[in-house]
Amino acid sequence: MDDTTLSKYTISFGLSLALCSVLNALLVVLKETSRTVVAELQKTTGHQWVTHVAIVLVLFALLGWLFSLANHGQGLKLPAGRLTGIVVAGVVAGGLIITAFYLFAG
Amino acid sequence: MESGDMKEIILMFHVLFGVGCIITAVWLFVDVLHASEAHLGRIRKLSVVLAMFMWLAFLIGGYWYVRLYPADKAIILKGPWPFAHNFFMETKEHLVIMLLLLASFLPIAAANNLAANPAARRLVLWTTAGIALLGLMVEGHGAIIAMGVKVALLAGQH
Repeated sequence: MDDTTLSKYTISFGLSLALCSVLNALLVVLKETSRTVVAELQKTTGHQWVTHVAIVLVLFALLGWLFSLANHGQGLKLPAGRLTGIVVAGVVAGGLIITAFYLFAG
Repeated sequence: MESGDMKEIILMFHVLFGVGCIITAVWLFVDVLHASEAHLGRIRKLSVVLAMFMWLAFLIGGYWYVRLYPADKAIILKGPWPFAHNFFMETKEHLVIMLLLLASFLPIAAANNLAANPAARRLVLWTTAGIALLGLMVEGHGAIIAMGVKVALLAGQH
């Protein structure tokens, strides 16, 4: 019989991946439309892109870990089939926001 | 070899590891389509290899982008293809972050029993397909950026 459950880390980091893909794109829009934000990012590590990458990577690790702690350490529950849709939707949305921003507003 | 050549060599390693990441993603996609208990060990090892390729490509590319790209950027912006920076480099430098997240997530997803779990298999198939497609896309962006430098330098000779 087929196993249909995903490990708690797969669900946690899959959700974190989807969320961080969108947050990455929103940070692009934010920093490209606000000189204050880009100046702060620049000041933090010496290069705005390095700080941007660091924020997204730390969020990915942190959210993945926090989601895995939910439900008394059992992790967030999600029907196995839905996670794929959420991951794909997050990555596609992130990619579209970034591309559309530089195409029309960049 | 002149010290200035190091810039190009660094860039070639960035591309080399990026291509390695794409090829491994395609290999994994096919392997996961036919996943069985006997293949699980290889699939898991390959997913780690893919993540390592991606991290190497990212770190080398990141170093090049921060330290060496500003000179190329100035050349591109004075040339006939400013969109090579304004659109292609700007999108590439942010799309690769999602690529890095996908590659980092892959070994976690591949740790499930892909032979017995169709949902996990589907997730890994979509993840590897995303890595291969996004990888090809940013490789194409890289080619256009390099072409942006070339056309600017050629235009400057006339």
